[in-house]
Amino acid sequence: MIAPPAARVAMLVCLTLPACALAARLSASVHGGDGKPLPNAVVVAAPEDGRLPPLTKTTEVVDQIDKEFVPYVKAVRAGSYVQFPNKDNIRHHVYSFSPPKKFELPLYSGTPAIPVLFDKPGIVKLGCNIHDWMLGYIYVAETPYFGKSARDGRVEVDQLPPGRYQVRVWHPLMQGSETATVQRVELRDETPTRVEWTLKLNPEYRPRRTPLPGEPGYR
Amino acid sequence: MQTRTTMAPRLLTCWLCCVVALYSGTARSEWGFDATGGFTYDDNLSNAFEADERKGDTAAAVDLAGGYRQQLGDSTSLGLSLLGTSQSYLHYTGLSNIGLGARALLRTKFGLGAEAPWLALAAQGVYHNYHDDNLDGWSYEAGATLGKRFGDRWTVSGSVRYDAYVANSTPPVIIPGLSGSPYDVYGWNVGVQARFLATESDLVSLSYNWRTGTVTSVTEPDLEVLEYSDRVARTTIFGSPEIAYRINANTQTIGIAWSHTLGQHTAFNVAYAYRRSQADSELGAYYANVISITVSYSY
Repeated sequence: MIAPPAARVAMLVCLTLPACALAARLSASVHGGDGKPLPNAVVVAAPEDGRLPPLTKTTEVVDQIDKEFVPYVKAVRAGSYVQFPNKDNIRHHVYSFSPPKKFELPLYSGTPAIPVLFDKPGIVKLGCNIHDWMLGYIYVAETPYFGKSARDGRVEVDQLPPGRYQVRVWHPLMQGSETATVQRVELRDETPTRVEWTLKLNPEYRPRRTPLPGEPGYR
Repeated sequence: MQTRTTMAPRLLTCWLCCVVALYSGTARSEWGFDATGGFTYDDNLSNAFEADERKGDTAAAVDLAGGYRQQLGDSTSLGLSLLGTSQSYLHYTGLSNIGLGARALLRTKFGLGAEAPWLALAAQGVYHNYHDDNLDGWSYEAGATLGKRFGDRWTVSGSVRYDAYVANSTPPVIIPGLSGSPYDVYGWNVGVQARFLATESDLVSLSYNWRTGTVTSVTEPDLEVLEYSDRVARTTIFGSPEIAYRINANTQTIGIAWSHTLGQHTAFNVAYAYRRSQADSELGAYYANVISITVSYSY
């Protein structure tokens, strides 16, 4: 038996409203040890009950522009694919030795035909075998609830189901382990729950892009 | 006075052909440009053994290199660059010169990643114009460098290199039996270098180089030094009439350098080198201190 139109609308409203009303938000702020806002920090919220929405196949992008990885840090959910388009007019050779995803895209220009699957959570460090100073990171999260801090050090993660979460932060240069940053929070409604971290950072020792005098570089 | 055939036009043509050949694979070639400018002080330009004959001076120096690099495979690249050099001395202007030349650099990595060892084979030739027929000539260098990065902060390399300078002209013979240009010199070099990233933007380099070959020294006319020399010529390059003579010597150079990056493409550099040459004969040894302050830019 088919319900009359008014009843169908009412049913739809009933089904939709609770979900909207119950979506929670997390507002995080990340600073460096010097007190300055810290960009490129990944904030992850892991539900304590372990319930996660089903994975939807997504393809993310990490570009190579002016011989740098763009963005420097990319966060994806485990099971996502990542394309590595080369937008320079030279060739790059992208690789990773990181345990969550070891791969190599030998010398190429343009966009490789097959994206790379990142199916294990963890941190994947990217490099280019031609331009050693090129460095990038892919943070593979076990949950879909994550965000990356902007220049102001702020991260907003929304559309979270209410409940108890363990939230943590990671940054490529942070001292100490990611698990040491875990905070337990209960997210109830749309009013943002605020969390803050101050991270002490290590220096970043990249191979130099600028050659030394009298020595030919390989930019 | 004999004048050897100038090779500059032929070299330039050859270089241009190579660049055109590389550029034909546009998407594969990588254009690059390096420039370094600054000041260099050498307290013994005359390579003098006696303290009162040492001549020191400061030069404003510019080095330019521009060309293409072709990635020949996953691990190997070939670069061809056109080189331009200029040195302008404040006092001894006869040493001021400009140079034009070319360099080929073949570089290969043995493996994947920033810590994979690499080998670079380089050869270059530069024609130097001093506006002096006796000094004008070609400098040549060819060598191999093997290097490796250790961890995030250390890079160590070792090199073997041959260098030569061939003057265009042979000065008039002033002593029978000692003919030929004293400015024609050659030598074999073996060197090691360690680089350390002291901070994210400060690189400190330590280097040692040992060279065996011939060197040119300048002295007041002195019959004793002529016993040990195989080539002699008159010169007034340091003002007063003197003689330039060539001898065999072993030269050791110890260098320390600091380079501070001022962005992705620019660096400020300060370097010091102590050079000591021990003559094969009883002439003894001479030494020099060389300090340079430069800014380098690469694109």
